[in-house]
Amino acid sequence: MIEVKDLTFSYGKDKQVLHGLNFSVKDGEIFGFLGPNGSGKSTTQKILTGILGGHGGKVSLFGQDILTVHSKDFFQRIGVLFEFPYLYANLSAVDNLKYFSSFYPKAQLRDVEEVLEELEFKRDFLKKPVSSYSKGMRQRVSMARALISNPRLLFLDEPTSGLDPSGAVLFRRIIEKERQKGTTVFLTTHNMLDADLLCDRVAFIVGGNIVALDTPKNLKEQHSNYRVAVDYLYQGKREEKTIEVGELETGIPFPHDKIISIHSGEPTLEDMFIQYTGRGLT
Amino acid sequence: MKGFYSLFKKDVRLMKSGKFFLMSLGFLILYTLYVNFGYIKFMDDQRYNVYLYDPEGVHRTILPLVSRVSSREELDAAILEDTRSVGIDASTGETQLILCEGAEKVDRHRIDYASASLQPSKEYQAEIVGFHTPEQKARKEITCELLFFEISAVGFLGIAAVLFREKGMGVIRIHAVLPVHKSLFLVSKLAIFLLSDLVFAVLLTIMNVGIGEGMSVLSSVLLQTALLSLLMALIGVICSLLLKDFRQFTLVYLLIAIFAATPVFLSANTAIKLDWISFHPFYHIYMGMKNAYFGTSTTAPVYYLGYLAAIAVLFIAAWCVFSREMRKEG
Repeated sequence: MIEVKDLTFSYGKDKQVLHGLNFSVKDGEIFGFLGPNGSGKSTTQKILTGILGGHGGKVSLFGQDILTVHSKDFFQRIGVLFEFPYLYANLSAVDNLKYFSSFYPKAQLRDVEEVLEELEFKRDFLKKPVSSYSKGMRQRVSMARALISNPRLLFLDEPTSGLDPSGAVLFRRIIEKERQKGTTVFLTTHNMLDADLLCDRVAFIVGGNIVALDTPKNLKEQHSNYRVAVDYLYQGKREEKTIEVGELETGIPFPHDKIISIHSGEPTLEDMFIQYTGRGLT
Repeated sequence: MKGFYSLFKKDVRLMKSGKFFLMSLGFLILYTLYVNFGYIKFMDDQRYNVYLYDPEGVHRTILPLVSRVSSREELDAAILEDTRSVGIDASTGETQLILCEGAEKVDRHRIDYASASLQPSKEYQAEIVGFHTPEQKARKEITCELLFFEISAVGFLGIAAVLFREKGMGVIRIHAVLPVHKSLFLVSKLAIFLLSDLVFAVLLTIMNVGIGEGMSVLSSVLLQTALLSLLMALIGVICSLLLKDFRQFTLVYLLIAIFAATPVFLSANTAIKLDWISFHPFYHIYMGMKNAYFGTSTTAPVYYLGYLAAIAVLFIAAWCVFSREMRKEG
């Protein structure tokens, strides 16, 4: 679906922000693009969505060079959720979606109200102006805008930003549903939980370079110490012991009355990011 | 075409919600009331009264506007009562002019006026070269000025108000990924302002110049209106996309009003002559509009080529700042 080879980009003569990126995204894959602010992830997304030209290297989408696919047809096949919920504040959710969907062929469009219902949008607000919505509601309408044209390739920039925990769970469920439909998702995020739960593969980008690219599972396993911490009760006393994972194959290898919890010593995706880049995702 | 229709419909809604059409209608009513009940009456100011005391009958063939009095006392009383008037005392056989002192130039004018009123009208007849009555001339002049002001100032502010709203909402960026030709975003706005300005020009001209006179110059006026409307709308687009907020825009607007419009109005409508005014592009634009109202439209190809070149250059500049806005973050 996406092929990127030796991608470079500079803002002006001396400000190179991308230094030869190489990656590919398969059909139906959810690909996470993780990096701190200023790392070049927004620039990469802008190049992939055709907003920014003048790059070096080769970028192909849908099997065609991006420089040749900037047609109406290309934009009909992609859906983009921006980092901020950009909407017409004077129009209602329904009117915003009707307006934005009016640029696509009718045959590929989903029903406005059905999409909003899937996003659990409050019905009372359907016809009220966006200016009266909370940030979470605006994010839902923006997501509906990205989904309404049934895109084959979905670019999502911080999709769960501004949502409460239940909203974030809903969005993850919807993104998962898109994957099941065969939609390819390019996910740009700071949220490690989103990336860990959703992405088939993730790339860490820092200073315009990809420093790691693999499945979240592999990235974590590569640096695992293969140890678990066991919290247990024995003769009325609560104790904790750290053992090798292999020791568990024959059961708990020490006397105990009750196991309270077992915690894996495996690093989180965020730990891995810090390890690879030397900095947090801020 | 479908994409253009969607953009056009959305822009009309934005302008409606921003009360732009209502504001234009308000200006149309205000201008019409001003022209018909203010300006024309002011221009049709009372002439100077002339009082003549001529017991000997020295002046036999006077103009009908001169009032005869029967005594010197009556003449003095009339002048003191009506201080703008001029008195003529011919009781000694010689003509003596009497008036209350005012400004030097006006006093000279009043003296000439009173002297002329004693001449037989046939001898004092001036050659008539124009066909406009003073009222028609005044109506055309003021309508031209108001239309020029409306398009260059109010329309300019209107397009900025719409674009600043869209810029503030960030929605311009969404248009970068929509399956529609990006230039249509600008074209739809230009089309709405052009249509709105043309309708405004038709109504303002018919309501203030009159149906017959208005219709005879309408095609030339509409051509000038269309050119000016496109020019100002493009300048409005560029300024509103380049500048950070409406406050900065207002400052630029003031600069344009003071340094661009003021010398043009002064040169075109008063006795003030500025040597460099022929280098001022807005002077030619204003004169183009004025000539259209007086039925002497500019036919010089260089004028229209200059206009079209300016519109083309401004459109390219507007496209560049629009593309920059689409690429912006946050």
